[in-house]
Amino acid sequence: MELHGVTKRFGSHTAVEDLDLRIPRGSIYGLLGPNGSGKTTTIRMIMSILLPDEGSVALFGGEPDDRARKRVGYLPEERGVYKKMKVLEYLEFMGEIRAIPRREARARGERWLERLGLADWSQKKIEDLSKGMQQKVQFIATILHEPELLILDEPFSGLDPINQDVLEQIVREFHERGTTILFSTHLMAHAESLCEYVCLISKARKVLDGNLRELKRAERRDVVALEFEGDDAWVRGPEVDGAERDGDTLLVHLREGADEQALLRRALEAGVRLRRFDLVEPSLHEIFVRHAGADAAGDAGLPTDFQPLGGVA
Amino acid sequence: MNSVLVVMRREYLQRVRNRWFILGTIALPVFMIAVFAIPIFLEARGERAERRIAVVDETGRLAAAVVERLEGSFDVDAVPYTDGVYEALQSRVDEGEIAGFLVLDEGTLREGRATYQGDGRPGTVRRLRLQQAVTEAVVAHRLAESGADVDVAALLAGGDIDWVNLSEEEPEGAERAVGLVTGFVGSFFLYMILLLYGVQVMRSVLEEKTTRIVEVIISAVRPWQLMLGKIVGVGAVGLTQVGIWALMAVLVASFGLPAVIAARPEMAQLENVAEYLPGLAALGAFLVFFVLGFFLYSALYAAVAAMCSTEEEAQQTQVPVTMLLVVPIIVLSMVMESPHSTFAVVMSLVPFFSPVLMFPRMLAGAPLWQVGLSFVLMAGTVVAVAWVAGRIYRVGILMQGKRPTLPELVRWVREA
Repeated sequence: MELHGVTKRFGSHTAVEDLDLRIPRGSIYGLLGPNGSGKTTTIRMIMSILLPDEGSVALFGGEPDDRARKRVGYLPEERGVYKKMKVLEYLEFMGEIRAIPRREARARGERWLERLGLADWSQKKIEDLSKGMQQKVQFIATILHEPELLILDEPFSGLDPINQDVLEQIVREFHERGTTILFSTHLMAHAESLCEYVCLISKARKVLDGNLRELKRAERRDVVALEFEGDDAWVRGPEVDGAERDGDTLLVHLREGADEQALLRRALEAGVRLRRFDLVEPSLHEIFVRHAGADAAGDAGLPTDFQPLGGVA
Repeated sequence: MNSVLVVMRREYLQRVRNRWFILGTIALPVFMIAVFAIPIFLEARGERAERRIAVVDETGRLAAAVVERLEGSFDVDAVPYTDGVYEALQSRVDEGEIAGFLVLDEGTLREGRATYQGDGRPGTVRRLRLQQAVTEAVVAHRLAESGADVDVAALLAGGDIDWVNLSEEEPEGAERAVGLVTGFVGSFFLYMILLLYGVQVMRSVLEEKTTRIVEVIISAVRPWQLMLGKIVGVGAVGLTQVGIWALMAVLVASFGLPAVIAARPEMAQLENVAEYLPGLAALGAFLVFFVLGFFLYSALYAAVAAMCSTEEEAQQTQVPVTMLLVVPIIVLSMVMESPHSTFAVVMSLVPFFSPVLMFPRMLAGAPLWQVGLSFVLMAGTVVAVAWVAGRIYRVGILMQGKRPTLPELVRWVREA
């Protein structure tokens, strides 16, 4: 799936500007950004719900037409279901419009309801279910036709931690089967544990994208986590900017361009017993803040870890 | 299965299984039967109670003639005049054995006046019968006294007038009256179910739009398939309901009524009700008017819903469409007053008005070519309206926020 130079404006407001995306087949791809950054608009353009003012969208390497869209499972941000329908009937219907025979759709629906602990509710009207249950039913409807591409818009919001885990597990299963998964979230923690690729967007623009591990490696810098026995006076040195204590761990901030190996040598010279010497990879949130600024991060997750120096140094 | 059929099946089953649908389908005919049957039933009951009367003749010269003339309308008990007869009769009235008693005396012979005493006054028709019987008996008695030998009934015959309308060509008498009633009822039915099911289409589109479920459906089904499936599904529900009603009507007319009449001969008047049931041609035309009218209005209602994002907005926006249905109902009585005037012809040929106006005109004897022309005009309008509404629908269902202005709507239609 690819986007090229996609732009969408609503009146004078630009929701998405000149966005390029390439989602490798079979990957788990996270579209990350604070509320109002353009995630949902991007997803809706991928689904042809909105048409881009500029740029192009390609699905499975071709036009995003009906045939291509039938191979997609799309879970919108709004939790829309036919409230008056019975749960299983609804799933049958959602399967049938994707050309799955009713009987088969029914069998699959029953299997998934069982799996998600909703088997007793299959003959109830959807309106009688709790919001969380409705969300699970809607999720089943999204995956019922075993799509090649899953697009999930904020799939975790509104679910309790246990169900978030169940959902994450199912997403991983689909990933193992080779399904490509694109999901959006403003909760960096989920993306961190789940994604292989991420795209960070802020204020309608792409900030950064790529393989999460490589990004982290490239973004890693200047902080070493140390655990050792003995005095910490040896830590002080020309390459050290400061340090802070976090329980047993000492986080040492290096000056820009400094070599962490010098710190390691000094540790050996000082004769302390090192239990941990770790180049800390920044969290997604830190990377985001670094590139988009704390303002842009807004409510995007945890408060920043970087603080003025204190502690021992 | 084809997407249109899948959507249609859902719409149909969801509605037909709804308990309000089942209730409404059964309740309406029961209500209609009650409206027709209860007055007849009450009248028949009243009839039985009022039928038995007594006649007392103080003169001894009139009773035979009066009783003879009351036969068929009353069960008459001719009571000879004795002392205390009135007290006895009074108590028979009190017990409810007879409705009342007619007293003929010298005054009756002289002035033609008689007295009726009873439990309340008899109905108009009964009073006329009594008056007529007394008058004829007295006149016959006086003529006989004077020596003339004449047939009083023949002498008094006459007074019926045939009303012939020279200015308009139309079916006569009873046939016309029956056509008018059936036409009015059918016309109201068409208005009612077009409105009812048109609004259901609107609700259904709006539900999908406000829950945004349409965004998911549209990834699997094309907008025109969704719209068509929905309209046909809801329309099929309407046809089912009308079909059930028609079937009930036929059953009541061919089995129910004869059975009732056989069991209770005094309710023979029910026979007339069957006359008001539409014939096969009228039923067929009704279906065509319903189907074409439904496509026309449901497409408009679907477009209205697609333009709106909330129930309140839709309520306002649907007003012009509903007005299109209300206008013919307003002019209906004017049109049926003189169903062949230029006004009536022109109004009933307007495709949006045809179901409500042409159907009753047809039963009132409008030329068949006008009915055919209205079919053709409606079919053409359906195609045009579906084209425009389909385009509005396609753009509208995925739009959120402000309702489009008229120029924006035009752009939707052009660009979709």
